[in-house]
Amino acid sequence: MVATTSPRPPASRDVRLVARRPLQGPYLLLTFRHPEVAGRTRAGQFVMIKANTAADPLLRRPFSIMSVHPAEDTFTLFLKVVGSGTRALADLRSGETAGCLGPLGRPFPMPPEDHEALLVAGGYGIAPFVLFGDELRRAGRRARAFYGGRTSGDLQGHDPFTALGLPLACCTDDGSFGHHGRVTDAVEAYLDTRPGAVTLYACGPDAMLHAAARLAERRNVPAQVSLDPWMGCGVGTCLGCVVRIQRADEPRGKYRCACTEGPVFDARDVVWAGEGSSRARREAAAVLR
Amino acid sequence: MSLAVQLAGLRLKNPLIAASGTFGYGVEYEGILDLSRLGGIVSKGLYLEPRDGCAVPRIVETPSGLLNAIGLQGVGIRAFVRDVLPRLDGYDTAVIVNVCGDTVEEYAEVARIAEAPGVDALEINISCPNVKKGGMAFGGDPRMTHEVVAAVRKATRLPVIPKLSPNVADVTVFARVCEEAGADALSCINTLLGLAVDVERRMPRLAFGTGGLSGPAIRPVAVRMAWQAARAVRIPVIGIGGIASAEDALEFLIAGCRAVQIGTAKFVDPGVYSRILAGLEDYLRRHGRESINDVVGSLRFPDAEETGGGGC
Repeated sequence: MVATTSPRPPASRDVRLVARRPLQGPYLLLTFRHPEVAGRTRAGQFVMIKANTAADPLLRRPFSIMSVHPAEDTFTLFLKVVGSGTRALADLRSGETAGCLGPLGRPFPMPPEDHEALLVAGGYGIAPFVLFGDELRRAGRRARAFYGGRTSGDLQGHDPFTALGLPLACCTDDGSFGHHGRVTDAVEAYLDTRPGAVTLYACGPDAMLHAAARLAERRNVPAQVSLDPWMGCGVGTCLGCVVRIQRADEPRGKYRCACTEGPVFDARDVVWAGEGSSRARREAAAVLR
Repeated sequence: MSLAVQLAGLRLKNPLIAASGTFGYGVEYEGILDLSRLGGIVSKGLYLEPRDGCAVPRIVETPSGLLNAIGLQGVGIRAFVRDVLPRLDGYDTAVIVNVCGDTVEEYAEVARIAEAPGVDALEINISCPNVKKGGMAFGGDPRMTHEVVAAVRKATRLPVIPKLSPNVADVTVFARVCEEAGADALSCINTLLGLAVDVERRMPRLAFGTGGLSGPAIRPVAVRMAWQAARAVRIPVIGIGGIASAEDALEFLIAGCRAVQIGTAKFVDPGVYSRILAGLEDYLRRHGRESINDVVGSLRFPDAEETGGGGC
């Protein structure tokens, strides 16, 4: 398939940093002025952004949009400094500009009306759920979040999310904050309380996404996962960010661009490394029966 | 003041062409940039059939560069002609199809199908480093290079532009072979073969193992090879490799290239073409030149007197 931009194509702009709020450790919030991103973004979409025009590091980096402020033409990113590209963004001062293309990608689909949305976040994977929580709340849908990190310091998205007034269960691997254990265990414990129909949404490290997808499969719950592969262009031309996806009518998976056909995919369709898609496994099992 | 250039029988409104493998099929950039501002666009590499490409990971960033092993994932020439070409019809830009094949016969067959209304020229991919057959295997062997270029030449009336590999000892040998086989122009260069190692896992960082390096890191190598090729043949050379600014483009033009292709830089900033066009016009103004063609091949080396004699 040839990727094409939507009727409302993304806009490439030099964007001015209007606010910079350091959080604890390597985390911070950056707010930029970009009218198209501020006005059109839906939760789960992202921008490609780079702090300067230096040749090194070379490429823009993809970031989920955490919140938008259409009245001010601004949007906010939740940043964790992990390398030279994020370092350069973190070092921007108010008034300085970055190159930015967006909004990009496929947003989270709304859950069916009678479903509660379970938002499962790992680390900086909380970012799109602040915007999604807001969309769900405005749409009058039920939603709650499960937020995991290695340690309490990794839960720096706590305040922006709880400001929405939605329930949030925190988990840490070391027990320093919230439940002691993995975030997917907390989701499973919640499912054990028989909460009624739910749709699961997950964003975070690959291992967590895979665990969430397995949990959804085991409990027969629909799930959407937001994937985060290395990305070159953001618009479906470099084919660097492809992930193997196997839809219902396909005998085998196809490489699809995470930037244009994702980053949000139906968890059943994702072909996980060394495992295949859950859809394919179920169908193979049905044939055997 | 004019930026228009003549190339392989084509008249390009300016010397900037979008490089193959970095621009999809053109339509992906609709609405993000004005395709009609480009002198031309080169499609992603196309075989007879759709291709899956390499396993992931496929890209890794290196100092001032991008190492990739995409492996020519693509929709195939028939889908391109049927689905994409009509959508490019409304744009005032030259459409160049990048022709691939596992065999000489496949190159020729793809070239035949590509000769459709709306296609202005064919670029022959004999230099992709990320496929097991074809690609660099053909472009690294003068005899095979001749065979592929001659076969495509015979299969089409369109201008034929082989894209040369930098992964050879002497690019001028291949430039001459292409000219003899009937090429109308040359694209110089494809990516440089590279390897990036994940030291924690002691494995290549790309699933394919090796990859092709692009971006500013390769520019001096690319300028040198394009310059060598341009001196070796009478047909025009299109310079490619790490161009991100007007100054970068001018290096290739001054070194003897009639036009240039831009690839990786567009990932960093889709507005790069407009910036370069403005920069080229500014350069002509500052140097009092009427046409960009006045700049092409104007490179001069200082003589012994200027350098104080002695040489190296």
